[in-house]
Amino acid sequence: MLEARRRSSRIVLQIILTLLVIPFLLPLIAMVQGSLAGQGWGNYVAVLSVPELPLFFRNSAIIAVATIVFVYVLTMGAAFGFAKLHVRGKAFYFWLLIAALTLPEVVLLTPLFATMTSLNLYNTYWAVILPLTALQLPFTVLLARNFMEGIPDEIIEAARIDGANTFQGFWYIVLPLTRPIAAAIIVFTLLGAWNDYLLPLVFLVDPTTQTITQLPQFFVGQFSNDQTKVLASAVITALPEIIAYLCLQRLFERGLSAGALK
Amino acid sequence: MSSKSGRGVARRRSFLRPTGYAWILPALVFCVGLLYYSVGYTGYISTLDWNGTAPDPTHVGSANYGRAFADPVFWEAIQHTVISFVVTFTISTILGFVFAALLHSRPFFGGVYKVVLFVPVVLAPAIMAPVFRQIFANDGQFNWLLDHLGLGALAQPWLAQSGTALGVILAITIWGGTGVTFILYFAAMGQIDPELLEAAELDGAGNIRRLVSIIWPNVRGTTIALATLSAIGALKTFDIPYLVTTGGPNFATEFLGTLIYRMSIPLGAVGYGAALSILLLLIALVFAILLNARRDKGEGRNDA
Repeated sequence: MLEARRRSSRIVLQIILTLLVIPFLLPLIAMVQGSLAGQGWGNYVAVLSVPELPLFFRNSAIIAVATIVFVYVLTMGAAFGFAKLHVRGKAFYFWLLIAALTLPEVVLLTPLFATMTSLNLYNTYWAVILPLTALQLPFTVLLARNFMEGIPDEIIEAARIDGANTFQGFWYIVLPLTRPIAAAIIVFTLLGAWNDYLLPLVFLVDPTTQTITQLPQFFVGQFSNDQTKVLASAVITALPEIIAYLCLQRLFERGLSAGALK
Repeated sequence: MSSKSGRGVARRRSFLRPTGYAWILPALVFCVGLLYYSVGYTGYISTLDWNGTAPDPTHVGSANYGRAFADPVFWEAIQHTVISFVVTFTISTILGFVFAALLHSRPFFGGVYKVVLFVPVVLAPAIMAPVFRQIFANDGQFNWLLDHLGLGALAQPWLAQSGTALGVILAITIWGGTGVTFILYFAAMGQIDPELLEAAELDGAGNIRRLVSIIWPNVRGTTIALATLSAIGALKTFDIPYLVTTGGPNFATEFLGTLIYRMSIPLGAVGYGAALSILLLLIALVFAILLNARRDKGEGRNDA
């Protein structure tokens, strides 16, 4: 992009880049440094020996996986219907779905609270999985439909001439072609579900159901506001996310850019 | 759902598209059933004077809306949302654009810089909130840093003052959002025809000139996409102000999300919270319509 043929100008670019990136690194350093203050590694030992800790991770994992499965199945079906099948009033239904794209989750709290309580779903995973899925769908359907519209109709028609029914056409022809966008949908839903704070805050009340985003507050109570241990717990919760990102770096980056551009 | 098309020759030969109601129905039921039902319910609650538990709440008509329009905190929250959008969008865009251009210039350890920029995107704001509370506390690392840079005079309790708290909230938002901006510009710049840049270089255009006159106009689609994303993000703001400053001090970091939450759950002014929710929805809906209007014009997809 920028031309830096001479060694001196390359060094200048490198210095500018380094100076600009430092503010992004500092909070991460401060997090680790703060977590080692006071008792040092003892903070980590104290946090890791809290028996409830694995429960939070288990709950987050269950909620994330279930949400991803629901979102994926519903999205692929709906996107196929919108992109490749005949539906009268299609534009209206699509608009109905897309209008919810900008819906903030906070407006759902009161009605969901009343509904979840009356359905006995309060403090169960469902109270978070169902709204999370509904909130993800407008976006993922939009993504997947745009992608599927790029698949030529001729392939599907050829399959039909060969005797494949609609479902077989979807399963054997369309679905394998949608892998790139499926990756985007999974990454998006994973981040959305794993990092969600408000729904678990309102609908999940104890460590047997609560997710990792509630951990800082749990530890504030647990260690009577001992900041160093709260920070140690932040490092412990951040690590799996950072490791997952480093292992699936291209998937995350491509997923997020595919998501934002369509 | 799918008809057994093997049954008749006529059906097999038909190039008419089969109907797809059954395919879109589950997603629609989910969305309409849960989201639209909730919105309708909220609309109803917004006409009540209700604490969330009383058996028969009083109907008050549009009184809750009147209360919102007369509530200075509501207007402050809207003002903060607008400020948040303008500031975070501007700064993230500039930073993301510059990072993308720099990292396209094959620096040493480019991959490492990329990871540093992108890790904040992956981390939950809820996890980072206590870290930022610590950093910007009176005895936190930020004041320590200022001190050691010889700027000790600037050290102050950043989160405890109305004048500085919003700035910190915006800084945290920018910290967490620039990675996305960068990745999008990085992808968009990869699509620019290299010959265009070479031609500009032959014509004697310097780095700055190329950035401004060639690269920036060529990633315009990305910039528009980022503007809409930022606007939606600003309307949905909740986690960071709630967890770092709980909307304070003195409502200095109140956003619509934090205001609605505080009214609906801890304060039990459920009817008023619902009216605020409906107002937030109306604003969000206007954005959704603008966004779709742009998409229909076919501008939305010409970017990388």
